[in-house]
Amino acid sequence: MSSPGFNFSNAVRNNFLQEKGIPLPKATSTGTTIVGCLFKDGIILGADTRATEGEIIADKNCEKIHYITESIRCCGAGTAADTEFTTASISSNMELHALSTGRAPRVVTAMTMLKQYLFQYQGHVGAALVLGGVDSTGPHLFTIHPHGSTDKLPYVTMGSGSLAAMAVFESSWKPNMERGEALALVSAAISAGIFNDLGSGSNVDACVITATQTEMLRNFVKPNERVEKERRYTFRRGTTAWKTENIRSLIVSEDITPVSAGGDAMDIS
Amino acid sequence: MDPSYRIIPTVQPQSASINDTAGTLGLHDTLQYGLRSIATETGKGGFENRLANWQETQDNLKLTMLRDLQGLHAPMRLLMERRIVSANPHMPAMPQSNIHLDILMGRDETLDPADFFLGMESGPPLNIHNEMEKKLRL
Repeated sequence: MSSPGFNFSNAVRNNFLQEKGIPLPKATSTGTTIVGCLFKDGIILGADTRATEGEIIADKNCEKIHYITESIRCCGAGTAADTEFTTASISSNMELHALSTGRAPRVVTAMTMLKQYLFQYQGHVGAALVLGGVDSTGPHLFTIHPHGSTDKLPYVTMGSGSLAAMAVFESSWKPNMERGEALALVSAAISAGIFNDLGSGSNVDACVITATQTEMLRNFVKPNERVEKERRYTFRRGTTAWKTENIRSLIVSEDITPVSAGGDAMDIS
Repeated sequence: MDPSYRIIPTVQPQSASINDTAGTLGLHDTLQYGLRSIATETGKGGFENRLANWQETQDNLKLTMLRDLQGLHAPMRLLMERRIVSANPHMPAMPQSNIHLDILMGRDETLDPADFFLGMESGPPLNIHNEMEKKLRL
């Protein structure tokens, strides 16, 4: 009925080439470190801020913690466009759903919508997500893989820096941490990803979600600030002398004819 | 409505193989089966078919469950309502929308990618006559 959103006009050609043995180009996976952890009052999500395009850094300070609803946020790893678009689409659907039911939206609703969408696309939508939030039933933290599988856990990491971050979590996470402790743990986990993984870098973003409020801590820690240059590289005034000055008007000659006799009034002649 | 609990659309047989079309000499029999083409031999892969039939399969699952729980009348009434509402007096060429059908299908409160990427695949209709013929089944 309606177009599914993917363009299949090259599908036959690609299939033919694959059967001949020519491998499909690999979709570049943007390196990331994203984490989520449960603490006493709710959830803390963390992410790095580097977006890569192959070997080049496309964005030194991008935002990976996406808005789903007021008290539900989602960190996205994988193809940046896919995570952006998927989370925006689910955010819209969550709002419509909340208006329809008349209740505050729940984290499991977002999780179900995301997992059904990703399963439908069989992993071609490259979005690995960490979804966390607090709703009327309490705080919940989920991880959703590109093929649609989900896990419900007290602390999760995703992305190319997930192993470094998980090592930090595994050694220091404990249940019912205080906010300061949990925030320090999340920063340490993301920093581990930033310093040990090429695909992650720049700054640490964090988001603290509790039952009463959601606090977005953008650039919470900036361990990679660029140092100020030691020398000034501008040229002083008078470095080059100018010899002649020639000013030409672009208007050679001008002749103004008023168009209508009545001034600004409409010409109804 | 197909009485099946299938969640995922069926995987269609994708490509023709030489075994099906071989004549007496073991080669492709052009007289009987037509010329060879890459489109029939390699096929498109099952992904496009999966996406195109996804909504229908999900809907079919729900109707089948309804039939097994409440009896044949339940899906029958729903399908009857949809058919009544689909009687479309509009010209096929102009942009169409059927809100009543959207409500009955449960699409009125969700947004799909198809809803915001409107009509990027086809431009204005070039053959209104063909469309009208199809609609009126001439």
